[in-house]
Amino acid sequence: MLQLVDFVVRNRFFLVFVLLEILSMWLVVRSNNYWGATYFNTANYYVAKALTISNDAREYTRLGDINSNLAHENAQLRAMLTDLQQQSPPNAPAGYLPDSGFAERFTYSVAKVVDNETHYQNNFITIDKGTKDGIAPGMGVISATGVVGKVRVCSENYSIVTSILHSQFMVSTKLLRSNEIGYAKWPGKNPNEIDLVDVSKYTKIIKGDSAVTSDQNAVFPPGIMVGRVKSLEVNQNQTFYNIVLDLATDFPNLSYVYVVKNNQLEEQQGLRNSIEQAK
Amino acid sequence: MNLRQTIQAIQLVVIYLVLQIFFMRNLVLFNYAFSFIYIGIILLLPVETDRLYVLLIGFLVGITVDIFSNTLGMHAAATVLVAYIRPFLLHYQMEAKGVDRLEIGIRAQGFMSFLAYLFPLILIHSSVLFLLEMNNINMILYSLMRIGATSLLTIVFILILELFSKR
Repeated sequence: MLQLVDFVVRNRFFLVFVLLEILSMWLVVRSNNYWGATYFNTANYYVAKALTISNDAREYTRLGDINSNLAHENAQLRAMLTDLQQQSPPNAPAGYLPDSGFAERFTYSVAKVVDNETHYQNNFITIDKGTKDGIAPGMGVISATGVVGKVRVCSENYSIVTSILHSQFMVSTKLLRSNEIGYAKWPGKNPNEIDLVDVSKYTKIIKGDSAVTSDQNAVFPPGIMVGRVKSLEVNQNQTFYNIVLDLATDFPNLSYVYVVKNNQLEEQQGLRNSIEQAK
Repeated sequence: MNLRQTIQAIQLVVIYLVLQIFFMRNLVLFNYAFSFIYIGIILLLPVETDRLYVLLIGFLVGITVDIFSNTLGMHAAATVLVAYIRPFLLHYQMEAKGVDRLEIGIRAQGFMSFLAYLFPLILIHSSVLFLLEMNNINMILYSLMRIGATSLLTIVFILILELFSKR
């Protein structure tokens, strides 16, 4: 008996070691069984809470990646959306069936804004995609929330976009509820507001109505948000409303944009040119 | 162990565990090199610490890391093994130097003998971990590469932390 006690005392570290190892191994084996869902894992509330904090910190460093992934996803979703919309236009008569080439004429590519100005009379935006990525002058540019502008010049890797905040840029715009078409044009002051001109004063315009790009538009896909009616007034001497729209695109904080390519633009413009030459 | 050493040991445990659980968990280089710096807790405890305490601290630290990485028991097994072997290595170093009291640390021991103390233990630790994790003998090469890479990265981090510590 004394010998046994003596043995235990002499080898107590080894015995504790063996005991702990057996306990560990037992835990390993037990948690390998799929039914052995234990309490001691990351499903535990406090553990999960702690891990969430750690993940938040990590995610913060990866926000750039996450943003660009979302932007790519947006581009795909937009392409799908215009496809669907063009295959069954919401306000077309029952017999109208667009051919698939027309419905799928818009393709999108994502670009990052590398330089953005909003303070001048004529503002331009620089994006990080150029001819190498298939960007060409004349293509439309939109953001996740609304129209942005039109590509003006391209180099190999960069392009300059005429922002809609440009004194000579006009977008054919439709008011959704009153179904009126006019032109959006920037007066050159506030980067959050844009004027809508050429809307006849004999129609009823509702405050807060959405203004979207119209179907008579070769550059932008139809139905892209331009803004919302903020205020309207009638000038007695004129036949048009003075409408001010709240711009849908947040220009001061623009970070990713989508370049819209209309695959049938050349065809459309070629036809147009042939008439104008004949005149 | 006096009070000052005890407080230092608690600091060591807390700092290394927080680092491991919140930061090093996410740091995996090239899918090969993990950094299990928490093993530094066991390696850097004062020499006078009771062997029984070292074993128990090893087990608790291992289990804590296990809970956060869903590998219940594996880190505990590896850490307890290191905690058990540690006194033998220290004893060997003391005999080799002919001193009867040793202090652990890059400044107290000198770089080479500090490394000679760290490396075998860290290698054992990562070997146990990855061999336990391996469930297919075909993965042996992959596991061996992971063991090597992990040991190196862990040592680098522990050396950096040790350089910045005041001891």
